[in-house]
Amino acid sequence: MSNDENARGGLPAQMRRGVLEYCVMALLRDDERYGFELVRELAQVDGMVTSEGTIYPLLSRLRRDGLVETRWRESPSGPPRRYYRLTGPGVRALERFRQEWARFRATVDQFIEEERSEPIS
Amino acid sequence: MNPSADELVQQYLRGLERELRGLPRSRRSELLEEVREHIAAALAEMKSPSAADVRTLLERMGDPAEIAAEAGSRIAHRPARAGLVEVGALVLLPLGGLLLPVVGWFAGVILLWASSAWSSRDKLIGTFLVPGGLALPVFALFMVGGETCAGVEVRDGRTGALVQANEQCSGGPSTSVEVLYFGGIIAAVVLTLGSAMYLALKLRRSSSTAQPV
Repeated sequence: MSNDENARGGLPAQMRRGVLEYCVMALLRDDERYGFELVRELAQVDGMVTSEGTIYPLLSRLRRDGLVETRWRESPSGPPRRYYRLTGPGVRALERFRQEWARFRATVDQFIEEERSEPIS
Repeated sequence: MNPSADELVQQYLRGLERELRGLPRSRRSELLEEVREHIAAALAEMKSPSAADVRTLLERMGDPAEIAAEAGSRIAHRPARAGLVEVGALVLLPLGGLLLPVVGWFAGVILLWASSAWSSRDKLIGTFLVPGGLALPVFALFMVGGETCAGVEVRDGRTGALVQANEQCSGGPSTSVEVLYFGGIIAAVVLTLGSAMYLALKLRRSSSTAQPV
């Protein structure tokens, strides 16, 4: 873990990467989007995407794992775009993550909040 | 878009292509195309991007090494199949030529290249080490010869009875050539079996758990 990752607020890169794909999947649950759109939305949240180019291998992996499907659509400006959308298994995987995440967040909060409420003697 | 900005983009894409060299060609070109289009779309949104703008954009795209790492990081999670295609290739490459000359080996080559379990480099090794598989050395084994032998009969001049019968052989390869010849046959057998084992090992390795990034 490098020093400047700690400077970014203490969230290790591995953790960001781990949740990033679920954030991508969440964005694809109700709407289909193409890569550029996805990156733009994710980039709105500071620090969510450190390397925009990595979205594409991530999407490719989701596709290979059967969690997203794609289709081509004509674009008004330029070559056809590849649109991504969650598959059935993808929706289920996302739901499972959501429950896990809620539990995880509650657990971490417990520790973090406890830390804060303990007076330092 | 001024030339230096375009050159920056080309440089970046070239660097990315280099980093992606470990990927199968279809994945590599697909990824490159997606990144290229992304950059183009981003630039199209800017009114007249300066070289500085392009630099910022490329930085946001990320280090090509990082993109390549992301692309390769779960490559082992692919259901690496020792499926029918792979088993067929492993069997036909060494032995196919023995069952059905040329065609049998060639079928093995087709299966080899059709499979997605091996990299292009491995496929090249499987094809050219040794072309024809075991058929070639086995065939060569039966080709040994080239000497002509003639029977020589010595008969008694008077009675015509057979006194001696010899076989005289002449021609044919000298000893050193024979040694080389058989050496070559053995080498071909070793190389053929070796490359088949290499492919089998590569198959097993790619089906193990994910490699750490």
